[in-house]
Amino acid sequence: MNKKTPYILIMPIVLLGVLFIYGLVNGIIQSFGYIPALDLGNFTLDYYIEILKDPTFIDSLKVSLKISIISSILAMVLGTILTTALVYTGHTEGKTLQIIKLAILIPHTIVALFSISLLSQNGLIARLFYNLGFISAQGDFPLLLYTENSLGIILGYLWKEVPFVAYFSLALMNSINKTLGEASENLGASRLKSFFYITLPLSMPAISKAFLIILTFSFGAYDLPFLLGATMPKALPVQAHLEYMHPDLRYRPYAMAMNGLILAVSWTMTGIYYLVKKKKGIKGDVHERY
Amino acid sequence: MSMKDTNSNIPLKLFLYLIAFTILAPLVILVLWTFTSRWPWPNLFPTSFSLRALEEVFAPYANLLPTLVSSILLSLTVALLSAIVGTMTARALVFYDFFGKGLIKLLTMAPNIVPGTVFAMGIHVVFIRMSLADTLVGVIIVHLIYTLPYSINIMRDLTSSIGQQMELQAYVLGASPLKSFIYITLPLLAPGVLASMNMAYITSFSQYFLTLLIGGGKIRTLSTLMVPFIAKGDRSIGSAYALIFVLSTLTIFIVMDRVIKRLSFRNKEENL
Repeated sequence: MNKKTPYILIMPIVLLGVLFIYGLVNGIIQSFGYIPALDLGNFTLDYYIEILKDPTFIDSLKVSLKISIISSILAMVLGTILTTALVYTGHTEGKTLQIIKLAILIPHTIVALFSISLLSQNGLIARLFYNLGFISAQGDFPLLLYTENSLGIILGYLWKEVPFVAYFSLALMNSINKTLGEASENLGASRLKSFFYITLPLSMPAISKAFLIILTFSFGAYDLPFLLGATMPKALPVQAHLEYMHPDLRYRPYAMAMNGLILAVSWTMTGIYYLVKKKKGIKGDVHERY
Repeated sequence: MSMKDTNSNIPLKLFLYLIAFTILAPLVILVLWTFTSRWPWPNLFPTSFSLRALEEVFAPYANLLPTLVSSILLSLTVALLSAIVGTMTARALVFYDFFGKGLIKLLTMAPNIVPGTVFAMGIHVVFIRMSLADTLVGVIIVHLIYTLPYSINIMRDLTSSIGQQMELQAYVLGASPLKSFIYITLPLLAPGVLASMNMAYITSFSQYFLTLLIGGGKIRTLSTLMVPFIAKGDRSIGSAYALIFVLSTLTIFIVMDRVIKRLSFRNKEENL
């Protein structure tokens, strides 16, 4: 109606976008050691090189990668089974779906509390094991929280992400099953065959997108590793925040370099996803419903 | 055929029940812990109940009620702004061609690939310079940035499915552009507005790190109040806060649903 209209409409997003990019670029510039306010005026890669040589950092990187890769793969597999279960038992709406949504609404901080009351050595599962005679004392129950194996964190992510994967891919799998899946069954394909050859492959765009979202999210997330992680090694975002809060401001570039590497890893993950997608020719993009 | 169907569905059904149980059980335990006074090892059930945890979180010194109210108002503000900016951006992207459209599209997804911690530490220094650190406005801005991708996505889908035909007709018949948007399109957008407000509200209400860093401990929300107890591993106080978190969120969702349904209904009646 008016040539100016779109520019008026995008004003707020441009303003917020500028702020977003400004914050991001500002952090990255600091990671190269350029902070005039602290008399640091040279662009250098030293901070990156130094943290890459630091075993504490490498351990943090490993823990973060381990948590995000294991939890995301398991969540993708279990989430796909859950989607399948919802579609094939006819629970694509109603109460069951509300329960699934409930898990998406609960914040990670409260999930940490669930982990504590269920998985600690005097938690409910340990008590159940004791009463069933599997263990004879609290100490016999394996340490899952505040320890390097990070199982408490991984299980916490699973609790949130399995429902997320299902919710995210439900609409696509349901519509494919209703159309092409049932058509192939009518043409004589067995149910199993039509699922593995038609419905599942065609649902992959949503499932793989969900995988990318939870993979990059859990790699850069703070809450669960902060609340349930080991003292050493800490997950990367927790370690970066620690460096950031160091009273000696000269530690700031180290924090920012860690952030730079977190970004580099998450963007590499995203890049690989799009490369694989392009190569496999998975067509069509899925809008994020969540 | 039908015999085989039922058989192949049984494992899937069991899996579904197992997941539903896994989701619901911790919530039941949350309620139990809130009202527990003693739950010694190795009992599977509390030995005595009390209101101690609730009394403690509702005690005047804990500051729960004022924090809860301001926390809800903060997240409602974020939700409303997010729906407004989301609707505006979606409209621009769906109906218009303009300079830098591709860039705006990219921008709307950017927060999804930049972890909140990375962004927060980067913007913190900028906010200190702009005197936005430790302020409500600063916290609202960072929350808004992280809720917008959802709102824009939801509003974009809906805007393009509704189209502009009806609105243009009203315009041709003499209504002002703003009026034809408010009376024709907005009621149709109501479900999307509700969905994006829900999503933005829960995202904002759940934020711990962004609020803590940008709010500098001065802006207190239910999350920043609750997390120290979870960090200490205090199950009864932590559970009491978590229960209040869940119940207040569900209440807000019901209220938002009612309000938006009523508003869009009234609009439609005026139309007729």
